[in-house]
Amino acid sequence: MAKTSARDFTTKELIAAFIAHQVRDGERVAVGAGLHVPRAGILLAHLLYCPNVRLYIVMTFTNLLKEPRMEPFYTVTDFRPAKWAEAYVLHDDFQENPRLVSNMFVVGALQIDPYGNSNLIGVGRDYHRLSFRGPGAVGTTSMAHYVDRYYLYVQSHDRRIFVEKCDFISTVGWGEGGPDGRRRLGLPDNGPIYCITPLCIMDFEPQTKRMRLKSVHPGVTVDDVVRNTGFELIIPDAVPETEPPTVEELRVLRERIDVEGMLRR
Amino acid sequence: MSLERKSLIIDEREAASWIRDGMTIAIGGFINSSHPMAIVRQIIRRGVRDLTVIGPASGGLDLDLLIGAGCVRKLVTAYMGGEHYCPVAPMFRAAVERGELQVWECDEGMYYCALRAAAQRLPFTPWKAGIGTSFPEVNPDIKVFPDPITGEPLLAIPAIKPQVAILYAAHADPYGNVQHIGTGFGDRALWRAADRTIVQVERIIPNEEVRKNPLATSLYGVDAIVRAPYGSHPFAAPGYYIEDAEHLREYVAAATAYAKQGDRGPFEAYLRKYVLEPETHADYLEVIGIRRLISLHEY
Repeated sequence: MAKTSARDFTTKELIAAFIAHQVRDGERVAVGAGLHVPRAGILLAHLLYCPNVRLYIVMTFTNLLKEPRMEPFYTVTDFRPAKWAEAYVLHDDFQENPRLVSNMFVVGALQIDPYGNSNLIGVGRDYHRLSFRGPGAVGTTSMAHYVDRYYLYVQSHDRRIFVEKCDFISTVGWGEGGPDGRRRLGLPDNGPIYCITPLCIMDFEPQTKRMRLKSVHPGVTVDDVVRNTGFELIIPDAVPETEPPTVEELRVLRERIDVEGMLRR
Repeated sequence: MSLERKSLIIDEREAASWIRDGMTIAIGGFINSSHPMAIVRQIIRRGVRDLTVIGPASGGLDLDLLIGAGCVRKLVTAYMGGEHYCPVAPMFRAAVERGELQVWECDEGMYYCALRAAAQRLPFTPWKAGIGTSFPEVNPDIKVFPDPITGEPLLAIPAIKPQVAILYAAHADPYGNVQHIGTGFGDRALWRAADRTIVQVERIIPNEEVRKNPLATSLYGVDAIVRAPYGSHPFAAPGYYIEDAEHLREYVAAATAYAKQGDRGPFEAYLRKYVLEPETHADYLEVIGIRRLISLHEY
């Protein structure tokens, strides 16, 4: 299939297309409400590449292939998309087998360290005197543990987020690093695959499991990333630009998924 | 002896009178939906103190209001925010940062483990997710122990038992048969774990209606039913109304003035206008106004 790259797109649309390429057909995928960009990316994958994906969306399971366009929804409790439901997910059942609701997951963070360990609890040395109290781990600790693959996603990229050491760890990444960083903790080898930010995509170098720059978004330099990261990143000799969305991806994003233009603001 | 079946319907004042200082209670729903607000507001009016509150797996601004009103000593939930209304619940944030509120730190998986252990009268539920994290350090109730089968580390998530669970659902008959519209989120886990359960509903339905479709009965044998139309306001009620976005923004602005600037005035004004001055749920609905209420349709 010939791919034509789009020219005019936002960074959010670029990231949505990148996330779309992580989804595999036939698997179960949780679509959160709060993170608009990963949500759009997963729906894009479904409509263009993964007709058999099982979508976990606002506490229901469904398939949206035949929906001409997505109604906007803003919260995980918005009952209106329940009209799409093929099944209800009782939230307390999620603990019975978290893999029944998703094979992949996107984890947000207040802080991320070089090994992809992340923190949603709060910022401050003393847990009893936090300088910033975060929202809490939500389901990230358990979901990241049980899914096949998880991805870190943050909506800004600066030295407050990318730190040498997290004040607290709510979702374990590659532990203290090394090829067996997770196995040493007694954990399976399903640490974070990529860390996705408004500046770049990063992966984890296989031997050290330290974060490594994979690609920079159009208009961003390697130096921009280094300057805004509070630890030493592994920088390969050649750092490509993040692959732009195709014309078709951008059209489907704008006409069927992001009708309100949240990714264009 | 009378052989009449007894109605379990009580009003929100009687329901709130079950809740006394220092108790462990649970409040159901999920973030912006399905909270038993008529009872929550009445608990605040009564000035109950030092509660341990088990929220839903992910808590919302109903709990934030209880915290701001000074009712809560300790909170059990894995998230406190309002999604796009506010990333972190403001009074929660302020109380934790000032050292005035204890948090039983957990994620949603650990939260359900604690309720399951309580329901099964077990000391703990074993859980793997969370090994290598800070949870055992910031929540000393969670212990790391070696799995007796493989020797690998596991977490022991201790039981947390609500003395009273206060839930919200669409319908119930007078005898404690409850039917949610939608999924009911994690309400069943709270009901299974609790000693007693009160369910506030939008509408009381006849027992015959329940018998038409017993599969729809999501909770049975609960202890009391409270009828409160529009009783989840300002939060959503599946099948009845969406959340009141304008009201939630008003709340968030008032609470944020305290969290960010230390100005308690706007929150106190909110509390007076919407909680303390209206004496009953009906008075509260009059303050909100019929036009606003009927504008919150789902279509």
